[in-house]
Amino acid sequence: MIKLTIDNKAVEVPENTTVLQAAALLGIEIPTMCYLEGHSCHPSCMVCMVKDADRGNFFTSCAMPVTEGMNIIATSEEVSDIRREALELLLSDHVGDCEAPCTLTCPAGMDIPLMNRLIANSEFEKSLEIVREEIALPLILGYICPAPCEKACRRKPIDGAVSICLLKRFTAQDTERRNQHLKPEIQKTGKKIAVIGTGPAGLSAAFYLLRAGHDCTLFDKNEQAGGAMRYNIDEEKLPREMLDAEIDGIRSMGAIFQLNQAITPDFFENKIIQKFDAVILATGNRINQPVEDFGLSGESEHEIADKKTFKTHRPGVFACGNMLREHEMAVRASAQGRIAAAQVGIYLNTQAPVKKIHFNSAFGHLTHPENREYLKESYLGFPIEPEGGFIAGFNEEQAIAEAKRCLHCDCRKPASCKLRIYSDQYGANRKKHLGPERKHLTKSIHHDLIVYEPEKCIRCGLCVEISGKEESLGLTYIGRGFDVRISVPFNETIAEALKKTAAACVNACPTGAMAFKNQEERLL
Amino acid sequence: MLLTPEHIIQTVNQIVAKRGTSADAAIPILQDIQQEFNFLPEEALKHVCEITEITPARITGISTFYTQFRHQPAGKHIIRVCTGTACHVKGATRVFDAIARELKLTDGQETDAAGTFTLETVACLGCCTLAPVIKIDDTTYGHVLPEKVNEVMQDFLSKSLQTVQKKAAARNNNSEVMGEIRIGLGSCCVASGSEEVKLELERVLNESRINVTVKQVGCVGVCNQVPVMEIFKPGQEPAFYAKIKPEEVKEVVLSHFQPVGFFNKLKSSFVSSFEKAVVDGEPKSFRKYIADQRDTPISEFLGPQMAIASENRGVVKPCDIEEYREGGGFLPLQKCLEELSPQQIVDEISKSGLRGRGGAGFPTGRKWQMVKDQVNTEKYIICNGDEGDPGAFMDRMLLESYPFRVIEGMLIAGYATGANQGIFYIRAEYPLAVKRINEALLICRENDLIGTSVMNSSFSFDIKVFEGAGAFVCGEETALIASIEGERGIPRMRPPYPAIKGLWEKPTLVNNTETFSLVSWIFRHGAEAFANIGTEGSKGTKVFALAGKVNRGGLIEVPMGITLRQIVEEIGGGIANDRKFKAVQIGGPSGGCIPAEMYDLPIDFEELAKVGAMMGSGGLIVLDDTDCMVDIAHYFLSFTQDQSCGRCTFCRIGTTRMLELLDKIRSGKGKPEDITHLEKLAESTKQGSLCGLGKTAPNPVLSTLKYFREEYEAHINGHCPSGKCLPLITYKITDDCIGCTKCAQCCPSDAIEFKPYEIHAIDMEKCIKCDICRQVCPVDAVEVV
Repeated sequence: MIKLTIDNKAVEVPENTTVLQAAALLGIEIPTMCYLEGHSCHPSCMVCMVKDADRGNFFTSCAMPVTEGMNIIATSEEVSDIRREALELLLSDHVGDCEAPCTLTCPAGMDIPLMNRLIANSEFEKSLEIVREEIALPLILGYICPAPCEKACRRKPIDGAVSICLLKRFTAQDTERRNQHLKPEIQKTGKKIAVIGTGPAGLSAAFYLLRAGHDCTLFDKNEQAGGAMRYNIDEEKLPREMLDAEIDGIRSMGAIFQLNQAITPDFFENKIIQKFDAVILATGNRINQPVEDFGLSGESEHEIADKKTFKTHRPGVFACGNMLREHEMAVRASAQGRIAAAQVGIYLNTQAPVKKIHFNSAFGHLTHPENREYLKESYLGFPIEPEGGFIAGFNEEQAIAEAKRCLHCDCRKPASCKLRIYSDQYGANRKKHLGPERKHLTKSIHHDLIVYEPEKCIRCGLCVEISGKEESLGLTYIGRGFDVRISVPFNETIAEALKKTAAACVNACPTGAMAFKNQEERLL
Repeated sequence: MLLTPEHIIQTVNQIVAKRGTSADAAIPILQDIQQEFNFLPEEALKHVCEITEITPARITGISTFYTQFRHQPAGKHIIRVCTGTACHVKGATRVFDAIARELKLTDGQETDAAGTFTLETVACLGCCTLAPVIKIDDTTYGHVLPEKVNEVMQDFLSKSLQTVQKKAAARNNNSEVMGEIRIGLGSCCVASGSEEVKLELERVLNESRINVTVKQVGCVGVCNQVPVMEIFKPGQEPAFYAKIKPEEVKEVVLSHFQPVGFFNKLKSSFVSSFEKAVVDGEPKSFRKYIADQRDTPISEFLGPQMAIASENRGVVKPCDIEEYREGGGFLPLQKCLEELSPQQIVDEISKSGLRGRGGAGFPTGRKWQMVKDQVNTEKYIICNGDEGDPGAFMDRMLLESYPFRVIEGMLIAGYATGANQGIFYIRAEYPLAVKRINEALLICRENDLIGTSVMNSSFSFDIKVFEGAGAFVCGEETALIASIEGERGIPRMRPPYPAIKGLWEKPTLVNNTETFSLVSWIFRHGAEAFANIGTEGSKGTKVFALAGKVNRGGLIEVPMGITLRQIVEEIGGGIANDRKFKAVQIGGPSGGCIPAEMYDLPIDFEELAKVGAMMGSGGLIVLDDTDCMVDIAHYFLSFTQDQSCGRCTFCRIGTTRMLELLDKIRSGKGKPEDITHLEKLAESTKQGSLCGLGKTAPNPVLSTLKYFREEYEAHINGHCPSGKCLPLITYKITDDCIGCTKCAQCCPSDAIEFKPYEIHAIDMEKCIKCDICRQVCPVDAVEVV
């Protein structure tokens, strides 16, 4: 047995244990990318660096056997710095988007490519489910959203953006489908929440509050719900039956609408603050109702509420939507409503904060050859015009065809890519080491099961090792130095190379370089 | 050549029959295939996979890793432009560009349209004193000027037509031997034409029937004076002739020896005066130095030196085993085998204080002890002769000139550590070294020095030669081992150290060529004698390749602790062309630059490390005030970046990003923050890289940043103080122009209009900054501004 200390904690381990394994025994997490239990260990990614406190040097913990009396620092700013540097160098040579530009542009952060793929695959119910993770009012927004996502769509400069907004509306067009699964079977929290205002922010907040098991009462001074959407938007643009239909959906989830109810300061203090566990203010333009009515003050939005949590300085009072900033897009207001609803749950201790990966390796515009690479996986052709015009929207056939135009520029491994996870964890700056030129992204799609994108590869060689054991052809390193890449001998295809081990290679690949063609990580 | 599938298959079958079918035969098989076809045809590789254990993945991985291997057919002849340090500072890039222009090669194209020449670069040909050097097939040309590349190529083509070279007939050996003539046949000498000198000498001797012994000796070390010829005649002082040309041989020989017979005498005087008349008009004034004269440049050059690894330099014939024995060779081995126990041998090495000469300076005794302590019946001794540093050629010289000394060192190491197998790992760019070692091994075998029962003892030891295939990283011991095992030359994590788990996972001693060369001396003179030389922490001598802007370059062997000043001023004869000493770059791409302020720094492992340099394998390039330090940093980093194996993140991407930053700074596009960014990235690459290559790659950058930061800052401000960085300079013709039109005639890009008797001007739009106009101008009227 060998005794050593890691982060000042003593541990005793058998000989031939690595520092990484010893740290794991102590519950000290060290990031690794190229290391995989059960495979030979040739350090290459260098993110598992630790420091030898006595000698002052850094080394890769995955391959270093413990020695008696070792004194290791696995957690310190210096160690984090060098791990981050390794990540940042890898990122500088990593061509690929984690999330698609449309998703990143969408104020609600909707998973648009996934919706597209589900529609393309005729999985309409699921597509609506995905949409509703971020968008409470897909039908309404399908008419009125200015669709910033379409301006960011990578297909736009090629032959026109995918009609994302219409596709989103399509997911909620069918009445029966729309009214199914509105609310998951969930235990009630017993908490009562008031939402003031029934515009996009208020309705969205109510939708997610109800989904979280809270009771929810909406107050509005007007006789009908809908706020600006009903009173400021032309009927030709947003047919009222659509507005009503989606509001009815929320009502069917158990929302109580208290309409014709002006909210005076007095009413707010006595009838709302006193009687509800929390309040979400979504009263729209401050000209109509000043924030002072709710005991708040301030001019700019961040004076009124926190930018991320939408908490005001009053405990249990949240504010979102146009009351924070005028002329906000409905989609942004509705996104804020969703976040405020989630924050209410955190405030009331009924739900835990959701851990989300914020890191994105957005790499900028596509070059012409890259356009071709992306088009490999999608339908060729211009955007499809809805037969009956914009108001009528897509029928199924059209929706499927249009959805298939999506280039699938989002990563196939957004949740499991270790480069993304650690970059997020270590706060890596993707741009720090960017060179004057980036590599051109390519996609190899000829294998039935998998897609290989070499420009996302970190050259760990796990796939070379795995395929080398069972395949007659397998994969190999080609070249050396900065230009080294992993490819197939004699210019054969990936399909020829990986006849038995494709799945094993995908599972071992630490990034999105190798991924299952038709697997949706988000749906696993 | 006919490349029919049948022919390919047949050839591959023959090669495999010779090399074997195991996976580790891959590199020799590939080398043979390339030798045969001039490139690696895919059909050949596929067939290899069919009939051997070598997989498609392995053969592809290996053949794309080593620079030696080519996947496209090359031209009939291959031009290799040496880009070693000495060549770089003397303008190798411009030579390369000039050849590319001459061959009309576009970007990325390597072979000219006619398929006559393929243009390549080579890390170092090891002829640093002849810089800039190019090699066309097997012919080396030194001091190549950009404006003369066409002549060089024409010369080569005209010579390659003369396929049959006349062999000198055997001389009449009946008469009395009148003396001895020695000719240096190290690579530098050969490159500078010593082979021609030798042929001419044989012709002259044959014709005049002068009976002297002609002896080919190894490298003399005065590589800046090559080819060299030394004449010994009883009763006369030895005469040393430097830079001798074939046409001068006759006159030199006849000035020392009388031709035999009256008729010959007459004829010789007639012929020589006749030849004088037709050859060049004036007889060349050859440079003659008397070796024992105190004040000659040669004796100064040799003066402060001390020869241990290069003992008997210029005296012994490389493969003459008797001569090696006469100088005490193989007695140490005999003593070890007969009188000393393995532990006593290791102790003696430890006591001598010998440290590895490969660069890092690990105590040799400790390494031997580690291998010895391993309980294993199978152990290996590897001689690391994969000298890849640009600007270093000491291993080459030792292997070429003193093969027995290296072999003896390996034998003693083998006996001491309990190993029975030795491997010479020699880079393929050193064909002469490979040839000499093979020859010497054959002789050793015949003399029972290798094989079963060495010197009739119970110790058996065999040695093989493995030719490297062109990868600097294989100088790193774990990468070298991977390479012998038939893998890509990727360094492995240490521990386990090769001493414990090395070649084929067996205990393996890897020592540098120079280290082995010192062993026999230590046992001849005792550990104490060795330990008495040098400094506290660094004992003995070190061989350096002195090149760059000194008057006298060459291979030198000096005691540890000698100062830079002594090396540059006393041995090197000071800075050439009356320029100012600026710095020395020591240790090649892993080393650093030491500025003029540290002229009195004693050279040893510790002192060099303290100032941010390292011993490296011993390249020592002297820089003067015309050398730009940003350019030097860029040069070395571009070498390591290119040679990175690509395994670990810091080396693969870090060196690339650093190089891009240097590029940006060098072209005047840098911002002040780029300097700090570069410095930080250099630090983290140093800390984070897996092997020595990556860990030391930032040294040239860090040391120039440390001592010459103001030069970096000047570049940020759009100015290259030394006028080296092309994007920051322009050319101008001054009023001194006499209108001779030479520049206009030579300009490859028509940037100078032809105007006889007028002051010329350069059109900067067209100028490609090739520097030719400046070099050809007879009145120095072209200036860099």
